[in-house]
Amino acid sequence: MKLQLLGEKLQLKALTKVFDREITGVYISDMVSDVIANAQAGNLLVTVQIHANVIAAANLVDIAAIIVTQGKLPTDDVVKMAEKAEITLFSTALDRWKVATGLYEAGIR
Amino acid sequence: MTAEAHHRYEMVHVRPGYVIVERDLFSRAVRSYFSAEPIPPKEEYREGNRIWKYSGMAQSFQFDVRDNETSEIVKFSELLGLLYYGCAAKDTDIHRIGEIAHENRISIYVAITYEAEDGSRINISEDKIRILNRLFNDRLESRDKKILILPDFFNLYKAVSYGEIMIDFGLTAMEEEVG
Repeated sequence: MKLQLLGEKLQLKALTKVFDREITGVYISDMVSDVIANAQAGNLLVTVQIHANVIAAANLVDIAAIIVTQGKLPTDDVVKMAEKAEITLFSTALDRWKVATGLYEAGIR
Repeated sequence: MTAEAHHRYEMVHVRPGYVIVERDLFSRAVRSYFSAEPIPPKEEYREGNRIWKYSGMAQSFQFDVRDNETSEIVKFSELLGLLYYGCAAKDTDIHRIGEIAHENRISIYVAITYEAEDGSRINISEDKIRILNRLFNDRLESRDKKILILPDFFNLYKAVSYGEIMIDFGLTAMEEEVG
């Protein structure tokens, strides 16, 4: 599934331009080191973290997009960093569990 | 067989832990080290004429890399983390160089290493830098995108391993303690 469609299905708020890639899977983590070690290229990262390190790690392993949960909003600098790295940044008021179930219901396996 | 198995290098033996930052009570010297203990050590202790006091920590990890052609395991215990150019201050050389590289779809990271007990930098070999570059570039899927990991030509290690500013500095293998 591509990011544009996924964003519409889960009613996600795009904080950056949507770089419409096909996602290869989902990785849920709040630890930057865990993302570096275990996430795969093209994955959708679901996290509550909003600091710049998350974008740095996502860029390093070629994450396609990040969903920031629980209504958290990164600073403008972090949003710009994501945009520059062509990583789509979404925001949602849902928590990680509800995002996970929503992704499953949307057909992501 | 997983997709990673086709890559020359693979991250193995990933060990979660903590970067512990400590301060000498008398000289105010600061140093940092990695601890894989489940509960991060915070005890004050004496070492020669110095008394080291816990100053802070961040979650981190260490890893080895397996060469899938030779089965050799390469340890990266000297590596503190990778600093993304975009997380460095805009008026630094690393940021300026990173901006130029970014226009060519190259993302620059700097390999920051731990300090030795005397406060000097522990160097990472050029061979290991090459391995890191291959390891992360082989994982990429985006067309034309490249990762370029450099040794710390910029002497950023002091500022980063001093602890207080390491989060603001944006070291990718570290995050603030939660809870």
